[in-house]
Amino acid sequence: MSGGVDSSVVAGLLKSQGHDVIGVTMKLWEGPNGEMPETGCCTASDSEDARKVAAKLDIPYYVLDYTESFSEKVVDNFIDMYAQGLTPNPCVECNRSVKFDHFLKQAKELNCDKVATGHYAKIIENENNFELHKADYLDKDQSYVLHMLSSSTLEHVMFPLGTISKPEVRQIAADLGLKTAFKKDSQDICFVGKKNYRNFVDKRIDISTSGDIVDRDGSTMGQHEGVHEFTVGQRKGIPGGQGEPKYVTKIDVRNKKVFVGDKKDLLTSSFYLEDVSFVNGIENENLTIQTRYNSEDLPCEIKMITKNTLEVSLLEPTYGVAPGQFGVIYNGTNLIGGGRITSKLNETLPV
Amino acid sequence: MKKDEYLYLDHAASTPMREVAFEVYKYTESVAFANSAGGHALSRKAKNILEESRDSIANHFGAAPKEITFTSGGTEADNWIIKMPFINNKNKNAELVTSQIEHEAVLGSAEWVESLGYKVHLTPCDKDGVIKADDVLKNVNKNTEIISIMLGNNETGVVQPIKEISQALKELDSEYIFHSDVVQAVANRKLDFHNIGIQSAAISGHKIGGPKGVGIMFLSSEVKLPSFLHGGKQELERRAGTVNVSGVASLSAALDEQQNSMIVQNQKILNERSEFEKKLWNSLDVMVVGDTVDRLDHISNIQFSEINSETLMVALDLKGLGVSRGSACASGAQKPSHVLQAMKVSNEKINSHLRFSFGWNTNVGDGIKAADIVLSVIKGMS
Repeated sequence: MSGGVDSSVVAGLLKSQGHDVIGVTMKLWEGPNGEMPETGCCTASDSEDARKVAAKLDIPYYVLDYTESFSEKVVDNFIDMYAQGLTPNPCVECNRSVKFDHFLKQAKELNCDKVATGHYAKIIENENNFELHKADYLDKDQSYVLHMLSSSTLEHVMFPLGTISKPEVRQIAADLGLKTAFKKDSQDICFVGKKNYRNFVDKRIDISTSGDIVDRDGSTMGQHEGVHEFTVGQRKGIPGGQGEPKYVTKIDVRNKKVFVGDKKDLLTSSFYLEDVSFVNGIENENLTIQTRYNSEDLPCEIKMITKNTLEVSLLEPTYGVAPGQFGVIYNGTNLIGGGRITSKLNETLPV
Repeated sequence: MKKDEYLYLDHAASTPMREVAFEVYKYTESVAFANSAGGHALSRKAKNILEESRDSIANHFGAAPKEITFTSGGTEADNWIIKMPFINNKNKNAELVTSQIEHEAVLGSAEWVESLGYKVHLTPCDKDGVIKADDVLKNVNKNTEIISIMLGNNETGVVQPIKEISQALKELDSEYIFHSDVVQAVANRKLDFHNIGIQSAAISGHKIGGPKGVGIMFLSSEVKLPSFLHGGKQELERRAGTVNVSGVASLSAALDEQQNSMIVQNQKILNERSEFEKKLWNSLDVMVVGDTVDRLDHISNIQFSEINSETLMVALDLKGLGVSRGSACASGAQKPSHVLQAMKVSNEKINSHLRFSFGWNTNVGDGIKAADIVLSVIKGMS
């Protein structure tokens, strides 16, 4: 229970269906003296909202401490990725390593049959397995950030909001008299808050990584203050002014070079996914892929290259495939699997 | 589970109010609600109840009534005594000697003193949680303003050698305040402050069956300290703020009952704790903190081998047993204990401890009942 309306409604729905419900707020991030943060999500006031909802629903409620695994598995990874010139997705890492790993294990120790969250996604139970599907309410579909869940994990998970729209969720919250009914959704990276994530990264890594900004002909256009300031597809902060806008096309961390080019240089038709996982094993027909959270579904073909690496070929090239983000493969609404987009793709680009 | 089936073993955090404390509170608030500092008949009545309570409380601790000041709780008393000697202190080299295992009220005040630029010595403890008198004494010098060492630790119950320290301090030719946070120790020790050799002490009402929001500061008549709260001249002109007369009277009644029944009470608590520890000891791989040293009767801090105490605490709560782990923070998430860290408990084991604490209304059989819940919960977790 983050203290938002979605997880509040999940608790309310399950309770009204007669389940034996326990509310948990995961404390993921903390200030220097161990206090709950004051900005972003998971703030002290959010956990207070969650506590009030749990009290209203008359369910046991706990704040449990995951700061160590979150810091190690999510925040350190976030910083590492930027330092490597990649574009991280901390929500995916958090789901993989904290929510549906550490937390799920703890829930099992407490003899809970299922962990339910306020994610918008759908689980379909078949005779022999569980499938993960996009939420019926596509505007809010969050299956992308859940792609790493396997059928055997889904067996222990519930997403009660998979068939409900956001306005309906707010209505249910209002009907249940929950104070979070009209609370604004949080869009921030929870541990960065409203601050610029680059300031956050700057404070935590050695920024003596300044180097050249290089255009497609190989000539130096200017200097940059560190590769972590850039991500592939970025326009802001590139020198050059007049004429065609320029975009970051590739980041070479070892040589501290940021390559820029025209928009067409960002066109990608094939790339690789690493650390690939499948919900129920690979499929090859009628596939599409999302290369960012809630982005367009692009028709594609896939081929396993090694045990964990997948080659993706798009039927139509696209802009803005950013290394570090995840490629998530669907067959219609059925989520097949996904993995992290590697930086290899840009080596095929002209620079 | 029904509320009355809930087994409460967190008395060291707060113990329920005694029936007599409830009655006295209600009575005082109804017949003597007036401000005790006023000049009319109802104020005189309140003032009289206040001073009778002060006399009675002072008597329990071998102190003079004027050595007793009522505060909002143990935390205020600790803050007052530790901070005030450093306000406008002309000696820039003034020092504070305390320990790593103090209650947060003392450690937080010490941190504040340090932030003003004064030197603070945090005395370590040994692996059993005992502070060695010599380790305290070696940091005491002519610049020492105050020495603050707790009597019984709130997390482990381990008793500290206060008398040994006070006797050694007497040999030194220097001026200092020897303060002790006796909040936990008061629960099951009879204390004569002058005899122990301390100049000040902090006591909390709700740890002995009195109400929350009222506490006692003992300050020996030899010591003068500036006021902490300024305003009206209440409490012998030491502390501003309308005195919580009903709270004080209620605390005094609770203390009377507690002190007068202590021998019987302690025996019952000790029996229950022994049964509890024995049963766990016989069935599980556990370690009882401080079981070979002097320990307050009501606290049992247990290290469970290879069990995460956060999960265990939740599982016990769900089965109707309320205990605690480390110190609570605002959100309810609990951090590893600074006391166990000071005892050099390893990182793997520090998250395997729970504190079970017994109290005045613990029933015969509760120890075994608690152990049975722990055993069944642990069986269910694996």
